[in-house]
Amino acid sequence: MGKKKTISIVSVAAVIFCVMLIFYSAFLAKETGVEFFAMDTYIKVSAVGTDSAAACEKIQTLVNSLDTEMLSRQNENSEISVLNSNGGIMSEKMQEYILAMLGIYEKSNGAFDFALGSVSDLWGFGNNPHLPANSKIKSALEKSGADKLSISGNKISTNGAVIDFGASGKGIALDEIKELLGSMKIKNAVVSVGGSVLLYGKKNFTVGIRNPKGGSGSYIMTVSTPAACVSTSGSYEQYFEENGKNYHHILNPETGYPVDNGLVSVTVISDNGLASDALSTACFVLGIEDGMKLAEEYGCEIVFVDSRKKVTASDGIKDSLKITDSNYSFAE
Amino acid sequence: MDKKLFRKGDIVVIGTALLVAAAIFLLRFVGNEKKLVAEIRVDGEVIETIDLSAIAEAVVISPETEPKVTIKAENGAIYFEHADCPDKLCISSGKLTRKGDTAVCLPAKTVITVLGADVDAVTY
Repeated sequence: MGKKKTISIVSVAAVIFCVMLIFYSAFLAKETGVEFFAMDTYIKVSAVGTDSAAACEKIQTLVNSLDTEMLSRQNENSEISVLNSNGGIMSEKMQEYILAMLGIYEKSNGAFDFALGSVSDLWGFGNNPHLPANSKIKSALEKSGADKLSISGNKISTNGAVIDFGASGKGIALDEIKELLGSMKIKNAVVSVGGSVLLYGKKNFTVGIRNPKGGSGSYIMTVSTPAACVSTSGSYEQYFEENGKNYHHILNPETGYPVDNGLVSVTVISDNGLASDALSTACFVLGIEDGMKLAEEYGCEIVFVDSRKKVTASDGIKDSLKITDSNYSFAE
Repeated sequence: MDKKLFRKGDIVVIGTALLVAAAIFLLRFVGNEKKLVAEIRVDGEVIETIDLSAIAEAVVISPETEPKVTIKAENGAIYFEHADCPDKLCISSGKLTRKGDTAVCLPAKTVITVLGADVDAVTY
């Protein structure tokens, strides 16, 4: 009689387990994805959780308004366009972003300079890429640079320099999205804002680091990491060829010309999106030795890929890296 | 005293429940491993899904976009063949042949993806 009871409990438990599995796969593990174009780039969202559909919708609204209302220089009514023209009072968020960028500008000794808008405009990346006249680069450089900014509390004067979010906007978007997801029922999510990736949730993620010679989905190595923001600056992303020479979009703030230090890409992994985005540019400009030090200062992990197809990584991430393309190997 | 651990009825109940759950779970999470399927999306809308493993003759697809793009699908590969955009980054992405491979034409808001990636995301 006792035995019979045990058997029935086993049976009931099995049925309950199966029902839960079905329930999990049908409802709790509900995965929703969306892709759209904003911030001059391609954005892809994939979210798992009961609020996943709502999250996708809200992310789209959030990124679009962040872009058009705050960060876009193409929209003359955006906050940054107004501040670039006349200076004035910064919103709380804008102040937060600019102070964080100023911190990275200072710690990188100017390698991350977010006030080079007039110089990058001369190169025309995105719409009409071309080699500008040297005299134009020189005169634009003289008027540019974050050192020209005067900030007092929430007031800013740009003094002719043009603030640009090209090397930090994607990261800022990741931070805002992360905050939004935190307020919703989302188990995990992966959001790529033009290749800057937010990994959200309590699981281990695998991220591919782009193959410089391949399409945007092909990679040369994978990195295994818990939740983080992962950004890459690569010389292959926007470039053009003129007179037999390649010119890419990562500019050396000292010269106004593309950085030419043998690096092909720099990937930074951080808890913070703005930091991962801005530091990937800063460390690209600084090169391996100084870039490694700066990443360490910010508690970030970093991976450099150079033109000899050698990979250099910070100690904290080395063991989680797996090179999948046999043409590449770790530098000795 | 009944010495059997499970009675016939229990085995039927447990077996059926496990089968149903496993089938639903598998249907949801496991795709066809060998198939190479590409999706073309314009402004987020899927306009074409192509089984690249099943193509015998090359197919040219010209979605209605501005600027114009031409996409070629052949056995085991798909790529932007032509684009009127200024930077032609989509063409330099080359042939997409592996799961997860993606090429994007930003001005034409057109994305080609080979479905079924091995990684959660690719940073670039």
